[in-house]
Amino acid sequence: MRLSDWQAQVQAYLLNPDAQPNPALQASLLGSAALSAEQGLAIYHNAYRARLLEALRGDYPAVHGWLGDEEFDALALAYLGAHPSQHFSLRWIGAKLADFIDGYLIPAQAAPLSELARLEWAFTLAFDAVDAAPLSLTQMAELPAEDWPNLQVCLLPSVQWLVCRHNSLALWRACKEQGDFPGSQPLVAPETCVIWRDQLITRYRSLAADEAAALQGMAVHGWNFAELCGELAHLGEQAPVQAVSWLRQWLADGLLQRVYPA
Amino acid sequence: MNAQRGNLGFGLGLRSTYYQAILEQQPAIDWFEIVSENYLVAGGKALYFLDAIGEQYPLVMHGVSLSIGGPHELDRDYLRQLKHLAARVQPAWISDHLCWSRGNAHQLHDLLPLPYTEESLQHVAARVRQVQDVIERPLVLENVSSYLRCADDQFSEWQFLAALSELSGCELLLDVNNVYVSARNHGFDAWTFISSLPKQRIRQLHLAGHSDYGSYLIDTHDQPVSDPVWQLYQRTLQHLGPVSTLLERDDHFPDLDVLLDELNTARRFAAQALQGSPQCA
Repeated sequence: MRLSDWQAQVQAYLLNPDAQPNPALQASLLGSAALSAEQGLAIYHNAYRARLLEALRGDYPAVHGWLGDEEFDALALAYLGAHPSQHFSLRWIGAKLADFIDGYLIPAQAAPLSELARLEWAFTLAFDAVDAAPLSLTQMAELPAEDWPNLQVCLLPSVQWLVCRHNSLALWRACKEQGDFPGSQPLVAPETCVIWRDQLITRYRSLAADEAAALQGMAVHGWNFAELCGELAHLGEQAPVQAVSWLRQWLADGLLQRVYPA
Repeated sequence: MNAQRGNLGFGLGLRSTYYQAILEQQPAIDWFEIVSENYLVAGGKALYFLDAIGEQYPLVMHGVSLSIGGPHELDRDYLRQLKHLAARVQPAWISDHLCWSRGNAHQLHDLLPLPYTEESLQHVAARVRQVQDVIERPLVLENVSSYLRCADDQFSEWQFLAALSELSGCELLLDVNNVYVSARNHGFDAWTFISSLPKQRIRQLHLAGHSDYGSYLIDTHDQPVSDPVWQLYQRTLQHLGPVSTLLERDDHFPDLDVLLDELNTARRFAAQALQGSPQCA
């Protein structure tokens, strides 16, 4: 058998959940007194699943904690069947799990579970996103008064942004703290969760709708500071005070980089 | 010190479990081997500790996903990232495995053995030369533990490694535990394997633990090096002279002190083995 044909057969065997090698693959192998060809094949078949399941459990501890071993593994194996790995690194094996859940379960079950999966994946993205120095409060204190109106910022590369409609953050926190599983609940109103890396520490914070809109306006849509104050005109004289208060918080969090318009 | 081989001494596989302890304790470890893929990321903790530990210890890059024997085109993006990492790390050398880890359609994330045929030899040798053109140094390839043997084999594994090294210029990472595991599983003589390799091509040794399933062994890297592997290691050093030795642990991580003790055991066994033997192979 040609090398590439043999490799195609081994690949098909590994990916097939049934662990039944075809006769040509079996005939291509020699067993020994210590280890038969069937046992040898089974070792690779088991190792393939065990390795990928371990990686997915590592990426999604809260989803795993919610579902338990049996249900999580059934979900993960269905996912791996639909999305065999395409990246050389296991780091990316779980990239499409949340989207897969949306199509795999009925919507009422899928929505809270895929949201939790998106939250966990966001943590992994923040964890190893490209390094960047955040704009600091000290740097801002040195900003001349005349530069404030045109000040523009963007989000640090590690910042992930997720609108939660369920108590996914509480579920994630319970898993992290090894507390009792609180049960999935819809939120009264959607909350924005930002997740980012501050030096080497991954952090998160829930934002109320007005703060989320302000941060998005300034750091994503490119409003300068004067425009942010303008958007808050309904607050009257309090508009600049609120704008400065939020900006200080975002700087203290380490969420922002300065942008210098061309 | 073996100048020809650039003997680094006694090293440990760098794992994230030990990052903090290494920086705090600055243990007497001569060098670290990194799993290259763990650092092919954009930023964050892994690269921070890599830089910090790399300032204090020599590093070697050891990959798991080159898939040098695979049926696919070599992954140029992976090689580009590997070369970029090498510029950052300045490794003493770059290694991977004589195996395939990717099929024609998907990544299989395992170190799968090859049939040892003339076709495989030509296929792998051509790809080794391509890789070496990119990384601009000899590639170092490790023998894997295996659980399959092909009926069409035209070479033994050691004959294949020797021929591959001769054809492509690659160097060899001799994993003593893998030889022992494969020898037990396939019923060949471990010393015949080791003594038949071209001495001057052996750049590095690996030591690790395996699990015994009765009639066969599985290379689990989750426990101490076994006595028969220590004996094989000593005999290997008597045959080769001093060679860079690395201890691998990938699961059931004990305290760093436990691995330091095991590394000191390697030092002691090596000193015993090398007493009276030539210092250069």
